[in-house]
Amino acid sequence: MFSRAVRPAVRAGSAAIARTAPPNAANFATLREIEGRLKSIKNIEKITKTMKIVASTRLTRAQKAMDESRAYGQTSNTVFEQAETKPLEDQKTLYVVASSDKGLCGGIHSGLSKATRRLLANDPNADIVILGEKAKAQLSRFAPEKILLTFSNVCKDIPTFADAQAIADQISLLPTDYSSVKIIYNSFLNAQSYEATVLEAFSEEAITQSANISAFEIDDEALASLREYALANNLFWAMAEGHACEISARRNAMENASKNAGDMINKFQILYNRQRQATITGELVEIITGATASADL
Amino acid sequence: MNSFRFARSALRARPSMFSAPVQRRGYAEAVADKIKLSLTLPHQTIYRSTGVTQVNIPAASGEMGVLANHVPSIEQLKPGLVEILEEGGATKQYFLSGGFAVVQPDSQLSINAVEGFPLEDFSADAIRNQIGEAQKIANGSGSEQDIAEAKIELEVLETLQALVK
Repeated sequence: MFSRAVRPAVRAGSAAIARTAPPNAANFATLREIEGRLKSIKNIEKITKTMKIVASTRLTRAQKAMDESRAYGQTSNTVFEQAETKPLEDQKTLYVVASSDKGLCGGIHSGLSKATRRLLANDPNADIVILGEKAKAQLSRFAPEKILLTFSNVCKDIPTFADAQAIADQISLLPTDYSSVKIIYNSFLNAQSYEATVLEAFSEEAITQSANISAFEIDDEALASLREYALANNLFWAMAEGHACEISARRNAMENASKNAGDMINKFQILYNRQRQATITGELVEIITGATASADL
Repeated sequence: MNSFRFARSALRARPSMFSAPVQRRGYAEAVADKIKLSLTLPHQTIYRSTGVTQVNIPAASGEMGVLANHVPSIEQLKPGLVEILEEGGATKQYFLSGGFAVVQPDSQLSINAVEGFPLEDFSADAIRNQIGEAQKIANGSGSEQDIAEAKIELEVLETLQALVK
């Protein structure tokens, strides 16, 4: 939003430079204009700087939560790796897009939407559940008929397990039996980069038909609970990691915005000074010319 | 998601191979190997692939002790006490609110729980107070859901009360 607001200012700025190109063209209005623009850019810089600081403070906490949730999710998924669980071929897949409501964080949401579109292109029979307004806005343009459920107001702060449970509950109430629920989320690679990644939670049938499940002793009743629990665990992991990515991306975006604003301030300051100098010189020339002219008389 | 909490009621006393009442002495003398324990909560990792001698878990099918080379199995946990016998003989006790324990084929034990705290962190007074409140709701005239929730709460609290002295 800011970058968009700043961009016209850039264009207007360069126009101002072009307009003032003829030397010594003293113009009070331009001077005032430049001053106004300079002020507004300074204000924008203040805002982006503050947002960066806020994001930095939240990042540490978000990253810690992400590490814990990752350990939790990995522990929960070990069993499916050991059992070599795979989704059933002939059944539908449900994609859950773990995005959030707020923007100003670089390509976090559009990256997710793009990944979802790619996956949907290979799997046209799938359905989508969306967490967060941003991905909803982007995907409802692309495939509105596939969207079954959307949740807003999630991933605002560090997600809690209760959030994940509530969403998992809603998903398990959906009428269709999906052989696998694929959660698309941004996985945190490092402070600079993230990547849209897929996390899978399987249906009961897929679990019972896994290659290596016979190695385990399991109660049939426990299986349904295991499936729901694993879905909630994976959702929680995806949400926590997505949240950390978002905060880190926001920090970076705001840092860049502040840097750009700083550059613009420098440019405008120089332009402003030059402009002022030119006006003063022009005025001096006028006075001196006037004085010499009257002295000659 | 409440289903596994309800599963407590389906508790069967299945004397499994290693089923044993809570006891001080483990099987450590018999088996020298370690079992790699991962005990994780959504917000905290208590153990991460740490070698321990024995873990006693409150499975829905009965209390069981897990040693190295245990038969791979997937067990639903009811709210209860998890006892961990660490290397060197120290014992740690955690109260978990239910979850899943999976014994992996390569002597790994993964326990996922929604909530869990060391047993010594619970206060007996607070438990008593909360039991009182839960009983009030359970016997009151709230909605069916409220009563069911209060009953679950009561079960958990009573289990907890029996453990915290």
